[in-house]
Amino acid sequence: MDKKRNLSITKEGVAKTIFALAALFAIVSVISIIGYLLYAGLPAMREIGIFKFLFGKVWSPGYEGAASEKFGILPMIVGSTIATGGALLIGGSLGITIAIFLVYFCPKGLKMPLTQLISLLAGIPSVVYGYFGLKQIVPLLAKISPNGNGTGILAVSLVLGIMILPTVTSLAKDGLSSVPSKYFEGSLALGMTKEQTVFKVMVPGASSGIMTALGLGIGRAVGETMAVIMVAGNSVQFPKGLFEGFMTLTGNIVMDMSYASGIHRSALVATGFVLLIFILILNGILYYVKSAGKTWEKDERRKLRQLKKAERRAQKTPCKVVMFFDRLNDKFIASNEKVKSKLKACRDRVAAKFGKVFNKDGGNRTYIAKNGLYKTLKYICCGSVIIMLAVVAYLLIFIFVKGIVAFRKIGVINFLFGKAGSGKISLAPAFVSTGALILIALAIALPIGICAAIYLVEYAGKSNKFVKIIRLFTDTLSGIPSIVFGLFGVIVFNDALGLGYSLMSGGLTLSIMILPTVIRSVEESLMAVPLAYREASYALGAGKVHTVFRIVLPSAMKGILTATILSIGRIVSESAALLLTAGSVRNMPKDIMSPGSSFAVMMYMFVSEGLYMNEAYATAVVLIILVTVINMLVFAFTPKKEKIK
Amino acid sequence: MKKKKEVEKFDLSQEAIKINNVNLYYGAFKALNNINMKISQGEITAFIGPSGCGKSTLLKCLNRMNDLVDGCKIEGKFEIGGQDIYAPKFSLQMLRKNVGMVFQKPNPFPMSVYDNIAYAPRLYGIRDKTSLDEIVEKSLTGAAMWEELKDCLNKSALALSGGQQQRLCIARALSVEPQILLMDEPTSALDPISTAKIEELCSQLKQNVTIVMVTHNMQQAARISDKTGFFLLGELIEFDDTEKIFSAPSKEQTERYITGRFG
Repeated sequence: MDKKRNLSITKEGVAKTIFALAALFAIVSVISIIGYLLYAGLPAMREIGIFKFLFGKVWSPGYEGAASEKFGILPMIVGSTIATGGALLIGGSLGITIAIFLVYFCPKGLKMPLTQLISLLAGIPSVVYGYFGLKQIVPLLAKISPNGNGTGILAVSLVLGIMILPTVTSLAKDGLSSVPSKYFEGSLALGMTKEQTVFKVMVPGASSGIMTALGLGIGRAVGETMAVIMVAGNSVQFPKGLFEGFMTLTGNIVMDMSYASGIHRSALVATGFVLLIFILILNGILYYVKSAGKTWEKDERRKLRQLKKAERRAQKTPCKVVMFFDRLNDKFIASNEKVKSKLKACRDRVAAKFGKVFNKDGGNRTYIAKNGLYKTLKYICCGSVIIMLAVVAYLLIFIFVKGIVAFRKIGVINFLFGKAGSGKISLAPAFVSTGALILIALAIALPIGICAAIYLVEYAGKSNKFVKIIRLFTDTLSGIPSIVFGLFGVIVFNDALGLGYSLMSGGLTLSIMILPTVIRSVEESLMAVPLAYREASYALGAGKVHTVFRIVLPSAMKGILTATILSIGRIVSESAALLLTAGSVRNMPKDIMSPGSSFAVMMYMFVSEGLYMNEAYATAVVLIILVTVINMLVFAFTPKKEKIK
Repeated sequence: MKKKKEVEKFDLSQEAIKINNVNLYYGAFKALNNINMKISQGEITAFIGPSGCGKSTLLKCLNRMNDLVDGCKIEGKFEIGGQDIYAPKFSLQMLRKNVGMVFQKPNPFPMSVYDNIAYAPRLYGIRDKTSLDEIVEKSLTGAAMWEELKDCLNKSALALSGGQQQRLCIARALSVEPQILLMDEPTSALDPISTAKIEELCSQLKQNVTIVMVTHNMQQAARISDKTGFFLLGELIEFDDTEKIFSAPSKEQTERYITGRFG
């Protein structure tokens, strides 16, 4: 008996250690990414000088060691910043207004298809967006451009804007839906119209969620690579106008990395490091906003501060505010006596100050006039949705029409499954390579991610500091741009481990990229398993490990499946990181140590060589179909409750 | 194997459960205050009292389910068959195997009826099909539902009705032949007919198993229990034969509660 017990105790201990180590993996990944990039970028920063590197205006790599070599990334920093700003202006405003429409004004039947459409948009690979930009947006812009040049800031902003739209929309939507519905009801009960309630109570209430959405939108825009290089014009100079070619930080890395060596290479890694630091700072800010937002929900004092703000605003429309305060008194914030009394004091002050005005016009005029404004806002939201639908329709129709024509020209069977080789183009190698990449990445990320999620949910307490740190690092990892992962892969897997351009190296890089997705979705599904199952198992004398593997994991199977499918989606649409790690050959890979191109990389090569436009269209069709199928699968496996949300 | 199992059982012949000077805290809140109690083998004991009086808490202490609660601190001594179950070296597995538990809400695993019952025997190392079949039949018979379920053992347990689910949970608890069965308001989520079935079942089980039951339903306590303990605000006010508690309680608070004047 004793022996058996000891055995089971050590088994529990070993399992717990394994789970904890898996949970540590996210932290280790982030730290080693920072470390290795710094290590490989340091020689350049030392030789050039950090100041000269960051603020140098000329980037001109020459023969190695030549005196004419100059590495200043200021033009790229400026380019990235402006392009991101433009993208945020377009994608951010559209995204937020669409989110508002979806949560509050959307007819029931439209909600599901729209949500699905947005997640489809999120899944479309960036090469497809880039190609769409190159073939449609750039020519259109060229027509209105004063210098006849369509590429440049405006084109990049438009493409990036469309690309960050789904990110912003879905996160803003989450933020809006997490505002307690009692506020909505409370406000309606006070006699405010639905429009007023939405724009005065709910949207400000979701401000932290909306900030997060915009922040992640910035992250996505800054880190985007492949779409940008197709429409930016790619001349290393300060962006002088909307239609002048320029270069972003990411574009510069991916364009030069394949041939750079020595200091040039190190300078590119250092560029990646700068990008990484920017993303880390952005993440830090977001983390702060998020945690501040969370306390806001609980903290009545914050509400009070908002009321004070309202009081200041009251100078303009006093009567309305007094009325508002009056009606607010019991229903809206009645939970806290202290707040209630301060609220009353607030109201009295306003009333005393503006009593006369208030008595004169009874306060009705401003009230009604303002509702017009909110109605307009509502129509703007509807307009955003229509714009988005038009863009999506344009994109899909363009790709499919061109793609079908292309397929006719080159032959479906031949192109998809024909033998690749001297002069013959076929997607067959891409099927094999993509499959191999998926298998390698999942074989590593799934076990680690599942173990980490088990640790977070089953072992660590909810308020545990360690858990908070792991979550922070997981979030950070998911925010790192793929080009940075690519650089890390090149430094560690290709060079240090000597794997060279290979599917193995690409798969390893991908496994780190999809790890946060796996951890998050498995975690969620584990949390959804009722506590009662665990209790019943413990009550029968089962240990923790037994309970986890026999009861909890089987119940969370759907979540694990979702994680797998989401990861596959991410891998299918990935290109920048793979271009750097797995190479871009067009022939059939011999084994996992040989280089290979996934669909997205293959498509990029077709475009960049400029010779295979038909093949590019056809690959785009294949990619979009793949992504759509993956999306539908995810949707089918998500529990129904979430679907309605 | 069989011999080993017998060794692992508690010796309840002297005294089944002995609770000595027990205090229990959830963080700073004192949930149980100086509880003393003795329960003998083969009896049904009912804990009654208003919500939040600590009766479920005490029940959960008996198979250490409170170990799962953060910030729960226990003082005093729990003895089952003369062994201190909170002793550092005491095997949790042995305790929970011999002291089964049925929860307030039916909580069958999301598996088939058969797998639900075979879960614990498999845990304890029984692998061969015939033994498992035997145990499943025996446990379901013990829970008076073999006739009902023998043709749908492969059906998902979640497809059963609430009452059936709860009896399945009892059968699941019986699968490891526990000596003591703890029931935490086992009928509060059920309809009257299912409740009657479970009460009847308890009376049958009494021959082999010592039952400790928490109930909100005073008639239920009066109907099926041998001993009744009345709890109020974390204290055991009165503990005596059920007949005596319901006919001539010695404490005023008990009388007021059972006549429905507070609670």
